[in-house]
Amino acid sequence: MRFHLIDKVDAVEPGKSVRGKKLTSLSEDYWEPGEDGPVMPYPFILEALCQAGTWLVMITTDRRKRAALLSIGSVDFLDVVRPGDVLELDGRVDSMSDEVAVVSGRVTVDGRPVLEASDIMCALIDAQDLADLDDTERLQKMLTRADGS
Amino acid sequence: MGAERTAVEMSRWTTLDRITNVEPGVSASAIRNVPNTLAIFDSHFPRFHVLPGVLILGSMGELAAHLLAEETGTSWRLAGAGQVGFRHFVQPGDQMEITVQLKERTDEGATLSGDVKVEGNVVTRARQLRMVPSNG
Repeated sequence: MRFHLIDKVDAVEPGKSVRGKKLTSLSEDYWEPGEDGPVMPYPFILEALCQAGTWLVMITTDRRKRAALLSIGSVDFLDVVRPGDVLELDGRVDSMSDEVAVVSGRVTVDGRPVLEASDIMCALIDAQDLADLDDTERLQKMLTRADGS
Repeated sequence: MGAERTAVEMSRWTTLDRITNVEPGVSASAIRNVPNTLAIFDSHFPRFHVLPGVLILGSMGELAAHLLAEETGTSWRLAGAGQVGFRHFVQPGDQMEITVQLKERTDEGATLSGDVKVEGNVVTRARQLRMVPSNG
């Protein structure tokens, strides 16, 4: 499975906030058994929010930088996510410099809060050290629907 | 499920390879190996392979659930975490030594702390792992 836990970037205010979506599907292979059927492992919900945050950083810096997790101030896993749910990812920047960004955010499903996190601190590292920049640009166009589709 | 919780029932993304020590009501230790074969490294990241921090947190949650299950005979799940620091990247070839310690427990919840070492160096530390009973 590709570890790309975001499917749409709906809105970005560079340096300030991001809104995106992660669509879940039973055809993905991370589900684990829960009381009433399969549930998404909680770390994956957090990762989806973190990936919204990294796209905020990438779009803010014209894809020069991306975020690597340094610390989590606090995270609460509030409710389960089931196959077919669409995660609404909301991230906002508390502070950002050339080296470090601090973001907070929440994840909801149909308005129901499933995760809240605050003071997620990320190191901003050179994006080209992690992935091919042309691939990243293509992915950005798909996520933001900026390719005319 | 309780104390019979097995690796197969845990998420294989955060699963522990071996529980090395359990002192019910006190602490537990486990190892998790990080082999190059994990498909996650194809995309995380293509030019720099590193185990996502959230999955390290998930592994600490698995071990915390195991320790609590040993003591209570019931199932537990990770409900939250506080002050989690990722000090070094965890990369293919690393063997993670995970330890959790119980700080307090009631019928409604439990708080533990945890750390992960690779070759004796702390790579991740969680001051607070918040657990709640689960029926799953």
